[in-house]
Amino acid sequence: MNKRLLIANRSEIAIRIIRSAHKLGLTAVVLQSDKEPDALYLQYADEIIQAKDASNDKPIFLDAEKIVRLALENNIDLIHPGYGFLSENPDFAALCEENNINFIGPSPELIRNMGIKTIAKKMAIEAGLPLVPGSEGAVRDAKQALDIAKKIGYPVLLKASAGGGGRGMRIVEKPETMERNFKSAYDEALAAFDNGDLFVEKYLENPKHLEFQILGDKFGNVIHLGERECSLQRKHQKLLEEAPSASISPKVRRKMGKMAVKFAKSIGYFSAGTIEYILDEDGTFYFMEMNTRIQVEHPVTEMVTGVDLVDWQIKIALGEKLTLTQAKIKTTGWAIECRVNTEDPQNRFSPQTGFIEKIRFPQNTNVRIETGVHNGSVVTPYFDSMIAKIIVKGDTRQNAINNTLEALTDFSLVGLKTTVPFCRTVLQDPEFVSARYTTRWVTHFFKPDMLENSDDELIGALAATIIYATEYLQIVSEAPASRNESLNVWVLNKRINK
Amino acid sequence: MGTSYIYKRDASRLFIAMRENGKRFKIYLPKESKPVIDNVEQDINFIEQSDFQYLFEWKGKRYNCELVSRDQNKSTVKVNGVEYKFSLESLFSYVRHGMIDKDGKQIDENNILSPMPGKIVDLFLAEGDLVNVGEPILSLEAMKMQNEITATCNGVIGKIHVTAGQSVMKDDLLVEVTSIDV
Repeated sequence: MNKRLLIANRSEIAIRIIRSAHKLGLTAVVLQSDKEPDALYLQYADEIIQAKDASNDKPIFLDAEKIVRLALENNIDLIHPGYGFLSENPDFAALCEENNINFIGPSPELIRNMGIKTIAKKMAIEAGLPLVPGSEGAVRDAKQALDIAKKIGYPVLLKASAGGGGRGMRIVEKPETMERNFKSAYDEALAAFDNGDLFVEKYLENPKHLEFQILGDKFGNVIHLGERECSLQRKHQKLLEEAPSASISPKVRRKMGKMAVKFAKSIGYFSAGTIEYILDEDGTFYFMEMNTRIQVEHPVTEMVTGVDLVDWQIKIALGEKLTLTQAKIKTTGWAIECRVNTEDPQNRFSPQTGFIEKIRFPQNTNVRIETGVHNGSVVTPYFDSMIAKIIVKGDTRQNAINNTLEALTDFSLVGLKTTVPFCRTVLQDPEFVSARYTTRWVTHFFKPDMLENSDDELIGALAATIIYATEYLQIVSEAPASRNESLNVWVLNKRINK
Repeated sequence: MGTSYIYKRDASRLFIAMRENGKRFKIYLPKESKPVIDNVEQDINFIEQSDFQYLFEWKGKRYNCELVSRDQNKSTVKVNGVEYKFSLESLFSYVRHGMIDKDGKQIDENNILSPMPGKIVDLFLAEGDLVNVGEPILSLEAMKMQNEITATCNGVIGKIHVTAGQSVMKDDLLVEVTSIDV
């Protein structure tokens, strides 16, 4: 009998995992949340479990106990957590383990250790990874933070040990503001993570974000699949990623890759994982953290290496040996991923909810689309704003940029605004084209009027005028004194197109 | 006469679309040809319309437009995912609001004064007509020669102070013209 894989996730990543499940001959089972009972991913699954989460505050995807209970009731063999939700929750992984369900990911212990930044950093130091100068572990209070800041120099960053997504994080520019920032970061971290521990580190003014994809099996084999550059972020949320990165030399790439593998091996890592580095302006790189899940941006790595990462995650969980070797991993070409979020880039990226009346994706052999929505889908306030990803390949970086721009021109969505115009702007910006861009690009360079373009503006003016003129000319022509015959602009325009 | 001029007589087909940042587009929608935007005829094709969506083709590219909101003469249009807000005016309301040439002097500069004593032979345009720069407005006979008096700007004909057959003196005000060359 086929093994039964439950996907504890939704949207595009659920569909992505279903694809791998089917390729490997597994039965794909998904959870139907009452918060989006008509979601697209449900159509791809072999079986649907109704989660009946209507009366709960949190959607089913965050309810570890209920997921495991439903999994047991439905004879589930494996659970894929996707990204977000419970994907990096060690208690969930442990609960799966206790109930003899194969959790697709590393061990609960590894998830726990990598999730607590102070522990992860300690383990990284032991493996010889460079770290951004800062406190060793959490600091006691604002006074100790001040002492450390004095040693490493301002500005410094206060970061929640258990943090993520920018919560519990503060930049402190000068000693006078330490106490205030310390208190607010502490309160925020405590509220968000039930853990107010903060550590201090040097704040890099213009860093780049690079990360190495790792695959390891349960037999101690670990390889890396090259890097991704994810420097294009807004409030620590990635918006556009590329692989490889134009910011490092082959020599540095080898060094960073080797260190990543060494670290993963030293902690006994298995499954897919990501080692995140921060790259300073002077080319110095530091270990930041390790992610123990499949990442949103994994397709760019797949596009340039030809390796299916989700397939491997499942195979490794099933106890298969990694047949890939480091020497076999070759990257060809360049890939760029644009996240399609229903956010309004003209208005501080405010989330947009509502109906997707019509959505059209580019279609081309060099374009890969991962989507969780189609015509008529509803974007609810309950979940993340990312509805799709457009991943495009090219032979060279410039070629990939051009292909991506072309692909984005063929994207259209009626009903909601998205980050696609933002991605178009990025791809044409000299800072990005020259690969000088850093994680500060949005703060330092982006202005909403960069989204505009004079051709679009002119067409907009024409469209607005035609709408107005249609009524206006009707009124004029109905007036008895008018010299106009019956005038209809749409008739006029049809005539234009003869 | 006049077929090479971009503006036909019909001033009711000229509109001004203005963005909040003050940028203005003069859009003329002629009956028989493509739209004239800021005095240039543009090779824009109108592909289709459904509900509040419009699809154009221009320079070999497709432009998806969506009417996002409308409040009287203000429209927000989304083009390729980016919103642009316009306030729309017909030429007449535009002139009435005094948005063209707030400086009275400049308006006067475009008025047609008689360059010499003579007799009005013919008037080619009527009040409210659009006129192109260089286009004849009237014919004036002086010293047994007929002279065509032409517009000094693209504009709309205001009050006409003379009739055919009327004799005029030098510098008499013949026709008021309001410029649309902004």
